[in-house]
Amino acid sequence: MDQYMILKDYVSSADAETALFYVIAILAISLSVGVISDRNIIRSGFILIGVFGAISGLFLMLQAQFLALAQVMIYAVGITLVVVIALMLTNPRSEREAVITEGDEFSQETGAVQFIQRLQQGTPAFVAVFSFFTIYLAIRSESWTPVTEKVSTDNVKVLGEALTTVYSLPFEFASVLLLAALIGAIMLAKAEKRQPAIESAED
Amino acid sequence: MIPNAPEIGKLLFIICFWICAIFLPVWLVSWAVGVLLPMLLEQGSPSMAMTATAETLRALTPIISVMVFIPINAMFMVLYERRALALFTVRLGPNRVGPDGLLQTAADAVKLLFKEDITPRGADAFMFTLAPIIFFAPSIFGALPLLAAITNNHSLYQITNLPTGIFYILAAASLPVVALVMAGWSSNNKYSLVGGLRAAAQAISYEIPLVLSLVTVCLMAGSLDVVKIAQQQDGGILNWNIAGGGALRGLDKAIQTKLGVETTPLITPQQSSDPTETPVAAPTTFEEVIHQYYPFEFLSYISAGVLIFCSFILLGLYLTGACAEINRIPFDLPEAESELVSGYNTEYSGIKFAIFFLAEFTNLFIVSSIATVMFLGGGDNPIPQWLLNKMPLEPIQKSLGAILSPFINGLHLIDPDTFWAAFWVIFKVYTFVFIAILIRGTLPRFRIDQLMDFGWKRLVPLSLIAFLVVVFARVLVVCHG
Amino acid sequence: MGSNLIGRAFESFKRIGEGLRTVLMHSFREPITKTYPDTVSQIAPHFRGRLALSVNPDTGEHLCISCRQCERVCPDKCIEITAHKSPETNKLELIDFKIDHGLCMFCGLCTEVCPTTCIINTNDFEMADYTRESLVYDLRRLTLTQEESAFYFEAKDMPKPKPKPPKPAPGAAPAAGAAPAGAKAAPVGAKAAPAEGAKPAAAAADAAKPAESAKPAAAPAEAAKPAAAPLEATKPAEDAKPAEAAAKPQDSSTEPAKTVGDTTAKPEEKPTASPEVKEAEKEKAPEQGADADKKEG
Ligand code: SF4
Ligand code: SF4
Repeated sequence: MDQYMILKDYVSSADAETALFYVIAILAISLSVGVISDRNIIRSGFILIGVFGAISGLFLMLQAQFLALAQVMIYAVGITLVVVIALMLTNPRSEREAVITEGDEFSQETGAVQFIQRLQQGTPAFVAVFSFFTIYLAIRSESWTPVTEKVSTDNVKVLGEALTTVYSLPFEFASVLLLAALIGAIMLAKAEKRQPAIESAED
Repeated sequence: MIPNAPEIGKLLFIICFWICAIFLPVWLVSWAVGVLLPMLLEQGSPSMAMTATAETLRALTPIISVMVFIPINAMFMVLYERRALALFTVRLGPNRVGPDGLLQTAADAVKLLFKEDITPRGADAFMFTLAPIIFFAPSIFGALPLLAAITNNHSLYQITNLPTGIFYILAAASLPVVALVMAGWSSNNKYSLVGGLRAAAQAISYEIPLVLSLVTVCLMAGSLDVVKIAQQQDGGILNWNIAGGGALRGLDKAIQTKLGVETTPLITPQQSSDPTETPVAAPTTFEEVIHQYYPFEFLSYISAGVLIFCSFILLGLYLTGACAEINRIPFDLPEAESELVSGYNTEYSGIKFAIFFLAEFTNLFIVSSIATVMFLGGGDNPIPQWLLNKMPLEPIQKSLGAILSPFINGLHLIDPDTFWAAFWVIFKVYTFVFIAILIRGTLPRFRIDQLMDFGWKRLVPLSLIAFLVVVFARVLVVCHG
Repeated sequence: MGSNLIGRAFESFKRIGEGLRTVLMHSFREPITKTYPDTVSQIAPHFRGRLALSVNPDTGEHLCISCRQCERVCPDKCIEITAHKSPETNKLELIDFKIDHGLCMFCGLCTEVCPTTCIINTNDFEMADYTRESLVYDLRRLTLTQEESAFYFEAKDMPKPKPKPPKPAPGAAPAAGAAPAGAKAAPVGAKAAPAEGAKPAAAAADAAKPAESAKPAAAPAEAAKPAAAPLEATKPAEDAKPAEAAAKPQDSSTEPAKTVGDTTAKPEEKPTASPEVKEAEKEKAPEQGADADKKEG
């Protein structure tokens, strides 16, 4: 491996790493702004895939290869795609109609109701700001100890051990939650039984 | 004797010609970029900048060789497919452009490049352009780890190897479906949209058996590293993963000890393989070796058989899943010509359509090479070591070595390690491609509900069962990993 | 259920394997493709290809009697006949016969109704052309040679027409003399024809036919026949055309005469297409048409 000495030094230097981090971070942030600002909901779904990709790039920089790839494979492709398809199958043009009806409603309502509705509109913004600060403070707090030594290249082994020893209980809980969601989805989606009257009529 | 001998001969000629036309440029370019230029740069003044340039060139070799490889390979595969399909359907196939239609697809490619690039009205132009790019990009960077595996870990390609190689390849292989949905949606065409939706549904369902089958192979091999997996299978057909993931390795070793054959490599004196040494100091008799590898006597024999059976099932699962993943014919619902007028690429023309086309055939090649590396031992020759040593290959090797030694030692044009590995990989991969074409010529298209049924009710349970069986059977036999 | 499932799985594997084997075995069969331009397969004599007007294979007279049956029956109205009554013989005489092959659907109704089996479907199907206009075939391009007519009469098993009663005319000798004299003489002959009547000119052409160099004369004679009629003053164009046509083949007079309707008669219209048409004609020539697998040099 000595044939890439200089190159390796350069790539793993702090400067290059920082530059790469900022590139990926800016990409992720601008894409996420795109997700919430794009008028077309399906387009923002596709942009969301890009956001997940950028975040998996961040994972890659932290040498969590397995996590990064799982992020791409499951979140970026699997889940987001299903969401996008669900959007396509429902009503891709609903957002325009919604805007129009909202405007109509506003003109008809009285001042007090209007105020309440404004307040309702403000709620998501409030929640967003609140959670942003929560996360920000959590990250800035002193309980995080930076790790300087190299992470083991065998990601999978470390992850597997963690999941089956220390974090086995949360892992199982998550599985049960997913199972419950799955069963619930099946119950919701299951076709209703036909009325016996109709069946006899068909016969 | 065979009435169709001339046609078959022509097909073979086309294959030989095109394989030379693919791999000679790839070989020469990668040699020029990876060996010759750095050598010249470093020879003069060993300054810092020179060395850095040389290293950059070396590091870029894999991607450059892939870029050279992909277009030529796609041209060949299209021609190969068309000629072979013509054979199966008792036709002649393209035979006008160039001798015996040799240059047909090259002409097609030129034609496609000069066609007008149309964006339909009402289409989302940005997404419409982005879709082919996203479709094509994974086939360039996704297969890179495979390069290290199929060139027998050549020093120039080692850089592409990853500890999570196969997972990386799978993640990259799952990306194109996003592009298909994007293409379908942005075309502003109902057929395209339906094609895109079908592509997504199909890819998500068939990814599960595909991934599970490969995970099971990784479990047999005990690694996610494709180079490691390929190197474990060195030494003849009995060591390949298709033969139970190393379940027959003991038999191979036992026969070797019985015949008293020294383990000598095929053509080179220094084969860098075989990282898994035999655990105990070499046992001497047939029975001892057998006992060492199959410790539970009868139970071990049975589980070896089960493993072999399972690995065949896994190969079948993998090929089925891969067929669905790359939309080959029994699963080509997203681009069904007869129902959806080519589905997601209805609206594409000119160079964008060419990119879709290119990526599709490249994906077929990648899928076949994954099968080769994971199941058929990568660049390993199928003949067991003990049989090989019985063959009178020594004089041929000597004379070949004498002739080629200036190339090997002086110019580093030929790497004997890589040369034979590449030869076998090419052979195996195009055999898989041939099987894909044969299946295309035979099976009709699935209906969408049959497709979903088959995926979720048959393949997923089967892959889970195979996974479980392998987990238990593997304990009783000494396998790879 | 489990065993049933496994049994079905094996069954389907067997079926798929059978299918794959069958398909693979197909590759050892000889391909049934005919490489078309190299190998032209034999076309059935009743194949409904390009329309043509036949001549009497024995005497070379044009068989059309201008009865307009075909024009009437054609569903697409793609036949256009120009004829007039000759004052001398009191019979209809053909001036021009146009079929728009771009419009024709090759139903063959016109060939059914033709009382003299004049209009027939030939085996020619290679009519691709560069313009729509060139798909409109006029009398010259429609009329077959004697040999071709003979071939089709035989192939289609049609009764041979009786020759019309010969009518020797005084003008025969000079016209016949003029025709072999070559291209220079031809205009003279054509000009002379109107003065002396149509029939003689036709007879002259018939007489001259065996001679190779008679071809230039044949075309003008055909065309001149109607023009010969009454009004020289009102039909100068008709007159000039055959003369021009006669003058044109000067260069090609050495090559064997194939058809009366050979395209050499109208080279100014589509010079690029004419060799192709000639080639097609060559292929359709009786002795070659019978030999299906003969390769074109
Ligand atoms: S073949 Fe039919 S369509 Fe053609 S000219 Fe004769 S009658 Fe008209
Ligand atoms: S039916 Fe026959 S004879 Fe009558 S005009 Fe037509 S081609 Fe001439």
